[in-house]
Amino acid sequence: MPPLNSDAVRQIAADLSRRDFLALLGASMALAGVTGCVREPDEPVYPYVHPPDAGAGTDLHFATAMALDGYATGLVVRSVGGRPIKIEGNPLHPASHGAAGALHQASLLGLYDPARARAATTNGRTLNWSAALRSFSLPALRQLAGQRGAGVCLVLDPTASPVTAFLLARLRTALPDATVHFHHTIESATVLDATRMAFGQPLLPLVDLSNAATIVAIGADPLASGPWHLRHARDFGARQRSIGRVQLHVAETSPSPTGSLASNRLAAAPSVLSSVALALLDRVARQQGVAAVRVAPVTLTSMAAAWVDAAAADLLAHRRASVVVAGDQAPQDVHLAVTLLNALLDNAGHTVRYVPSPLLDAGDRSHRADVLAERLGDGGTSALIITASNPVYTAPFDLPFAAPCQRATQSLYLGDYHDETAAVTQTFLPHAHYLESWGAERAYNGVISPVQPLIAPMWSGHTVDELLAALSGDARSGLALLKACCPAAATADALRRGIVDSTEAPSHATTIRWSALPVLAPPALPRSHTIEVAFPAGGVHDGRFSGNAWLQELPDPTTKLTWDNALLLGSGTAARLGVSNGDVLELRVDRATITAPALIVPGHAEDSGSLSLGYGRRGPGTRARLIGASTAPLRRAASPFTTESVQCVVTGQQHTLAVTQQHWSIAGRASELIAGAPAKALPAPLYHGTPPGHDGFGADQWAMTIDLDLCTGCSACVVACQAENNIPVVGKTGVLHSREMHWMRIARYTGDNGNAISQPMLCQHCEDAPCEYVCPVNATVHSDDGLNEMVYNRCVGTRFCSNNCPYKVRRFNWVNYHEEMTPVDELLNNPDVTVRARGVMEKCTFCVQRLRTAQERSALAGAPRTGPVVTACQQSCPTGAIIFGSLTNPDDAVAASAADPRAFRALDSLGTRPRVHYLTRRKDPA
Amino acid sequence: MAALFPPRATKWGRGVLIGGGLALLLVPVAAMAWVRTSWARGEHIVVQQPIPFSHALHAGTFAIDCRFCHSEVEWSANAGMPPTDRCVTCHTPLWRSTAVLTPVRTSLATGTPIPWRRVTQLPAFVYFNHAMHVSNGVACATCHGDVAHMTVVRQVVPLTMQWCVDCHRDPWPHLPSQPAAVTVVASQASSLPTARTGLIAEYRIHQFTNCTTCHR
Repeated sequence: MPPLNSDAVRQIAADLSRRDFLALLGASMALAGVTGCVREPDEPVYPYVHPPDAGAGTDLHFATAMALDGYATGLVVRSVGGRPIKIEGNPLHPASHGAAGALHQASLLGLYDPARARAATTNGRTLNWSAALRSFSLPALRQLAGQRGAGVCLVLDPTASPVTAFLLARLRTALPDATVHFHHTIESATVLDATRMAFGQPLLPLVDLSNAATIVAIGADPLASGPWHLRHARDFGARQRSIGRVQLHVAETSPSPTGSLASNRLAAAPSVLSSVALALLDRVARQQGVAAVRVAPVTLTSMAAAWVDAAAADLLAHRRASVVVAGDQAPQDVHLAVTLLNALLDNAGHTVRYVPSPLLDAGDRSHRADVLAERLGDGGTSALIITASNPVYTAPFDLPFAAPCQRATQSLYLGDYHDETAAVTQTFLPHAHYLESWGAERAYNGVISPVQPLIAPMWSGHTVDELLAALSGDARSGLALLKACCPAAATADALRRGIVDSTEAPSHATTIRWSALPVLAPPALPRSHTIEVAFPAGGVHDGRFSGNAWLQELPDPTTKLTWDNALLLGSGTAARLGVSNGDVLELRVDRATITAPALIVPGHAEDSGSLSLGYGRRGPGTRARLIGASTAPLRRAASPFTTESVQCVVTGQQHTLAVTQQHWSIAGRASELIAGAPAKALPAPLYHGTPPGHDGFGADQWAMTIDLDLCTGCSACVVACQAENNIPVVGKTGVLHSREMHWMRIARYTGDNGNAISQPMLCQHCEDAPCEYVCPVNATVHSDDGLNEMVYNRCVGTRFCSNNCPYKVRRFNWVNYHEEMTPVDELLNNPDVTVRARGVMEKCTFCVQRLRTAQERSALAGAPRTGPVVTACQQSCPTGAIIFGSLTNPDDAVAASAADPRAFRALDSLGTRPRVHYLTRRKDPA
Repeated sequence: MAALFPPRATKWGRGVLIGGGLALLLVPVAAMAWVRTSWARGEHIVVQQPIPFSHALHAGTFAIDCRFCHSEVEWSANAGMPPTDRCVTCHTPLWRSTAVLTPVRTSLATGTPIPWRRVTQLPAFVYFNHAMHVSNGVACATCHGDVAHMTVVRQVVPLTMQWCVDCHRDPWPHLPSQPAAVTVVASQASSLPTARTGLIAEYRIHQFTNCTTCHR
């Protein structure tokens, strides 16, 4: 991973004279010959001292879980030679069903991040763990903060860990007056408040999309964000494949992956979303003759009214088979309206169940930001202990952490990096990555998911559990704590499968307390000369992944923006403000101001903007320093994800945004790319070399299909490909030069209503490949089994192949990107894939290393291949849009999928005969 | 005015011109000839190991099967290097206090591995799979030579792509006629047909000349 502030591509050409250029040219030619003669470096071979019990010399896979915002997602991690090198979803885990999101997969890069904190420090002095904790022992805390610990304040990330629960309870017994707070960063507990109002008890909706014929999403992105989104996407994909197109009605501020699939989409400002939700509730209640729902009159624009009409009609036509969802950031009134809608439509018990939240103290005061602000502000905190991820940066403007940290007699921070929070706390302890930790987490539906380490802590990190235990004088390790506090998660079976059986949260029978409900009134519309700004979670989440180059360089699914955040605006608002892309705006609320560049997004709601969280880090020690704009000054704890009445002032400055929308685009050919005329019957595959039926490598004929009806554009596949195939990042300057190296690009074709077709474009493995016959050195050739092979060691870098490729899927190494890797992050490389050098072309190989490994395994077993071969992109795809396999193997699904009436081949008229088939987006039913 | 150049200068000038021309011709020729020698391929390099381990003694005199130490060869791409534990299996009673075994004792005591050095090294862009070769009838000696008679092991085959591809294009003559000759598959010998054709059918030997067979 190159340093984020250095240009991977040095712009030497810009200040070179003609004479210097010729001298360099000559020297390069002469030296190019020398490079071929260099022997491999003489590196020692290190055998084991004691061999492992099993698996020496083979890949191992371990089940573990990653918690984000407190909820676990089950993962399977591949380990080679003791190094975790690839993260995939755990098929047995309810929150994953085998899929993995971009954040989960990219978290691997965080493990090897050389910038991670490596040592415990107290006031700048490096200490070991126990010495650093000396002033936080129970007697020391009691002396400092009172016998009952009244001056002790703990701030944690929301967690559902049974181990943490046990240890926290023990600590609370020892220090009964200590306060514990859970700091939420990208979602809020409004849904619990809403269900408490409706049912009398705080419950979480658990949505099951596998039976939903109509989905209405209000301010929500159920298929691509949130703790249960992988499962939503899995169920949605299965449903779409079996039944046909699901009616998807989406009302949202900024276009989302879910919105791109919508059959009925409304772009509305956050405050309008509340009105829309209430209007929909009112409509459905009236149609059903339920008088108990009292909604104050709502005024809507004609477009919003039309959306409500269509959504209501569909919902009423699919009682018990429809579902209404609100986003994690939606305000309480939207959640309440959604809860009532699902009750009116009889969906509760069918498409949505209500379960208690697995989070510790869910719905309690300890989760409320105002309670935390009051505690931090009261000055009575003498010992402040923070394990939440960098709250000094993530907290809204009126929840200041920095001053209380400095005011406290003792402050302690367990963090991954020497970040903003570490800068204001006295004692810093390095936090263990979850791939280095023992523990247990709970999924959104309550299932206990063991966390087991793939590697010993690289930099003496410790877990939150170990810290909580140490605070109460218990020096046991994470494994011992897991065995003691949650023995069910430490059994061999639970660790092997990654779940503990029968731990799912029970469904609660719910009855709406109609009489207790108030009259629901929409919020007042904001003043017209200002805009409303929404703060959605960005590609780097709440900022905890802002040092993660994979996520920084991953084009946003909607805007295709990399290495930045920007104020997303609708075209009408941008015209009203007189700004175009890259114009820097000053955003003002009260006396707080920030500056952010504008980016116009088709389908964004007017009179509002969106600025994603997680950027604009200012603290020391982060390599993402000064990338993007920080949202904190504009945000208030009372409504942390929207701010009304933001004044926009054009500053006249310009900021260059690295947007990849136009990169590698194939102008004028879009229609043939996304909806080529489906062939009546696809011709039989063209074989190179040995014919099928032969026993050699030609027995398989590899092909892929991608269903455009299921692709949300979420880009999990792009990260999967990057991790699997050692794909470098190029930095912002590289992206601005169209030099991004991703083998997959998600081409986005936006429709008139902000909905869009996302087409993953990768090497099409053409049977008559245009790249092959222009290569002067035969560096790209065809294999017996239908692969377009790329031979890096033959490539001399003429780039003829890339020029002749109609799909523009070949990528060229302009510099030795891997030279910028340190010995630490080199450990990340997949040893099955060559690390490419400068001057070499590369492209999607259909994960040939996986194909060859599968073939070698079957040859070693002396039996035909059993089970499918799965490419990295296919494995990660949450909706299951990608199907890969051999056309000649009846067990593989790809042949049947390619024979689908919707199948077409991109730019088929060129006669390239691609092996990638797309299934065209179905038209919405009239 | 004195002549700017002495008479000899003409001769020198000619010499430089001809010599330079010859050098332009000969230097590339010599370089191209050099890379075709076994020296350039590293075949005669004697690698100093941290322990003066003798294959002649272990594999030759004591006839220890290759797989005893290189135990992963039948299922892994790497043949595997013996863990320190395995040295100690025999060397606890045998020669336990000799100076040459100091690195073994140190490794065991400190838990640090013994840093062996590679004798046979392929470029990073070549993916060689030991298991695929030994379980398809390619003997260890085909590539590693007769290590049972080598006190110090060295590279004995060119390990060029030409050498690999010769066998991949036409593998049949390179396979042993008797399965017992493939020492590492000797344990399966009883179940194997003895004729080469039978062996080829049994092992389903084909040409594997796709680039991605080795380059991934």
